[in-house]
Amino acid sequence: MATTTLNPAAPAYRSSLYEWLTTTDHKKIGIMYLINSILFFIAGGILALVVRVELSQPGLQIVNEAFYNQAFTMHASFMLFLFVIPILAGFGNYVVPLHLGAPDMAFPRINALSFWLLPLGGALMASGFLATGGAAASGWTEYPPLSGSKFSGAGTDLWIMGLTLIGTSSILGAINFLVTIFKMRAPGMTLFRMPILVWTVLVTSVLILMATPVLTSALIMLFIDRNYGGHFFDPANGGNAVLYQNVFWFYSHPAVYIMILPAMGIISEILPVFSRKPLFGYKAFVFATVAIGALGFSVWAHHMFTTGAVFLPFFSLMTFLIAVPTGVKMFNWIATLWRGQLTFKTPLLYATGFLTMFLIGGINGAFSAAVPVDFAIHDTYWVVAHIHYVLFGGSVFAVFGGIYYWFPKMTGRMLDETLGKVQFVLMFIGFNMTFFPMHQLGLMGMPRRIADYAASAGWSELNLVATIGGFVIAASMLPFLWNVLVSLRSGEIAGDDPWEGNTLEWATSSPPPPYNFDSLPEIRSERPVFDARHGQPAGHTDQTGH
Amino acid sequence: MSTSPRSRTGSGARVAVVIAVVVIAAVVAVLAASGITPQRLWDSFFPIGAGTPATDRAHATRSLYDIVFGIGAVIFVLVEAMIVFTVLRYRRKPGDDGLPPQIHGNNLVEVIWTAIPTAIVLFLFVISWQTLSKVEAKGPDAVHVRAVASRYQWQFDYLDAQGNLTFSQNLPIGDGGGLVLPVGEPVLVSLRSMDVNHAFYVPKFLFKRDAIPGRENSFEFTVDEPGTYRGQCAELCGTFHGSMVFEVHALPVAEFDAWYKTQVEKANATPTPPPSGAAAGPTLELGAMNVAFSTASLQAPAGSAFTIHFKNDDAAVPHNVEIKDSTGATVFKGDIITGPAEASYGVKALPAGAYTFHCTVHPNMTGTLTVQ
Repeated sequence: MATTTLNPAAPAYRSSLYEWLTTTDHKKIGIMYLINSILFFIAGGILALVVRVELSQPGLQIVNEAFYNQAFTMHASFMLFLFVIPILAGFGNYVVPLHLGAPDMAFPRINALSFWLLPLGGALMASGFLATGGAAASGWTEYPPLSGSKFSGAGTDLWIMGLTLIGTSSILGAINFLVTIFKMRAPGMTLFRMPILVWTVLVTSVLILMATPVLTSALIMLFIDRNYGGHFFDPANGGNAVLYQNVFWFYSHPAVYIMILPAMGIISEILPVFSRKPLFGYKAFVFATVAIGALGFSVWAHHMFTTGAVFLPFFSLMTFLIAVPTGVKMFNWIATLWRGQLTFKTPLLYATGFLTMFLIGGINGAFSAAVPVDFAIHDTYWVVAHIHYVLFGGSVFAVFGGIYYWFPKMTGRMLDETLGKVQFVLMFIGFNMTFFPMHQLGLMGMPRRIADYAASAGWSELNLVATIGGFVIAASMLPFLWNVLVSLRSGEIAGDDPWEGNTLEWATSSPPPPYNFDSLPEIRSERPVFDARHGQPAGHTDQTGH
Repeated sequence: MSTSPRSRTGSGARVAVVIAVVVIAAVVAVLAASGITPQRLWDSFFPIGAGTPATDRAHATRSLYDIVFGIGAVIFVLVEAMIVFTVLRYRRKPGDDGLPPQIHGNNLVEVIWTAIPTAIVLFLFVISWQTLSKVEAKGPDAVHVRAVASRYQWQFDYLDAQGNLTFSQNLPIGDGGGLVLPVGEPVLVSLRSMDVNHAFYVPKFLFKRDAIPGRENSFEFTVDEPGTYRGQCAELCGTFHGSMVFEVHALPVAEFDAWYKTQVEKANATPTPPPSGAAAGPTLELGAMNVAFSTASLQAPAGSAFTIHFKNDDAAVPHNVEIKDSTGATVFKGDIITGPAEASYGVKALPAGAYTFHCTVHPNMTGTLTVQ
């Protein structure tokens, strides 16, 4: 019998399967969120490659129109509902209790339930590929009447059921975050000393709590229409097809902020650490986050300008206004870097990549706020470019920045810097090659969601460029996966605080013990670990704490 | 401050730079090889590749686009330059051991960079509202067309002043089809959908509007120049959404009036009785349902006339049967019938060979006809 020696530096990923399956530890649950999300990211990415290969030249090459529609529908559904939203919730799960100096989330078992609903919902949604007629194929928006029983098969019912479970997972997670943030903060951790990531998770949780039940209502109405002869969205029987769009976007526009605010939070953690300066304008940043959350509820109908059924000036004005708090954040980030001492480790590369590309995603959004211009570019590839500059150039780059930043804390080992930089460069180039030409394709009049186009349309060259870029993005995932596998076994030992961090997670061991902290430093500012390293903030003598 | 030389470029950075250079060189080579000049590149930032918009409303939209693009481009260049400058200028150098100045914020600059973007977006809102009132303006119209969308085709109903149907244009594309309009006269288009959501989209009009069941949307415009303008459904409507195309044929007023008169006469003429099927040789049965033919292959005898009994079961959807020989030349074209309806097409004798048959309205409906 061989004796097994456990490496004490890295117990987190060597725990038994049983322990992982039954855990209520927020850190293990957070890591499972990340792994589950990355798997769906890969699945969604493969579907995206199917779409890109099909569009690389005129004519039908590899799939028929029916499967093409399933591919882009499930690509978007996986990426939005099973990758971006849950992976940010995963970072929240791992980091928020540590940031607050708390031993765990407020409701650890509900936390485990929120996680386990995700693979279940995802499997239900994906099982549509096995159903008669294939997976859901009416786009991730699933507008009726197309998504009704007359035009769509069982895949749509599976999509509705899966998404309802995912939505329930979100709602439970949001309640858990809110209670954790309001009730579990360590002594001294006032609201205005919380890390920005915690603020963004707080605002995101409020958005989820207010918006997701509305999506669930839309899904249930659609399910009743499809299966029990309801007429909510059937105009032939007194229903209203536009009603679905209103209810759907009342969730799905705030959902864009659910998908970007925690990513902004990650960026706001990375930039100060790697520039050795505090975040510029902490309170302005908090107010901007709250403003984005509040305004986010008043812009949903800008997805519906061409329906002829919305009050255009109001939604146009609100959509323009939401650029203001977003701009404030951008300037605060740049001012944080300004006169700093920047160390270009991989997390900072991703953060600056986020800044450069989220800027484009913000500016090209203003075009859609100008209603007449939206009439021209709505439902064209311009919109596809916009959404990817926000959610890929924005959120996904922040996600990878976050992975490189917190991997040492999660595993006790560093990821390899060279492989990280190779991945960043490939992803940055591939991303811009894929999505920048889509602006031009949209302006030239190429609609979304078409499987084929005429050779005479003049869209062939740019589509080919975009497809090549898609493969460069896919290639960038290889060094990442290799990096994770190798570094887990033989990465450099990280130590407690490899980056000279500011926030409380760097005050405990890597990985942290199950109860998180043996002792906490004093919390006198939003940078307690920085204060402990460099001495207390000037003028501080008050010792009347707990 | 330290003045020691910078030798901080690690192997990772070097590899990254090499990859960047290689990939960028490849991109430039691909662009150059496909004939993309700087002028074409610049034009591609404007709608329809900087082409001339085709309607009065589209010119207003294009002017608005130019303003939004100008402001957006300036903001992009300024902010991006700030990011690049910061990233290059403030790299940590050897000897940077002390902390940089710990600046927590500045209320004055926060107010400035809140106020300036607010002013910019309010300006954009005002001008886009003004443009919107031009694009949405209503007036007396010379022509009123109802575009009827159903999976996966467009039909154009020409209406009289009272809104009654004068005649229908069943074919969405090609000679003798399409949405035929006069140049220089205001046109009213109203949209109706028979099944799911569709959208009427003509890129050169810089405009689209949804066709939603249970709701009639309408819009007006005046076409500037004669010509053929490509249009296509822009709201996902099902499997063959991508083939739901149409054309706008803009004609000078005199030509349009002549065309319109011919169409009215055709519609008022007594329909010719369908040819008797019994007299015309063997009868082939062919059906159309859910925008597909009932069979993908038909056989007919060579050298003798025959009849195709065609049954269109698609409610409100027009179909027909058109036969082409192996060179692609049309040898027979049946009248378009709107389902549910039946027709007997008498086809003259064909030489032996392989033919294809398809629906003129739906090019994706096809089959083979073997004559032997």
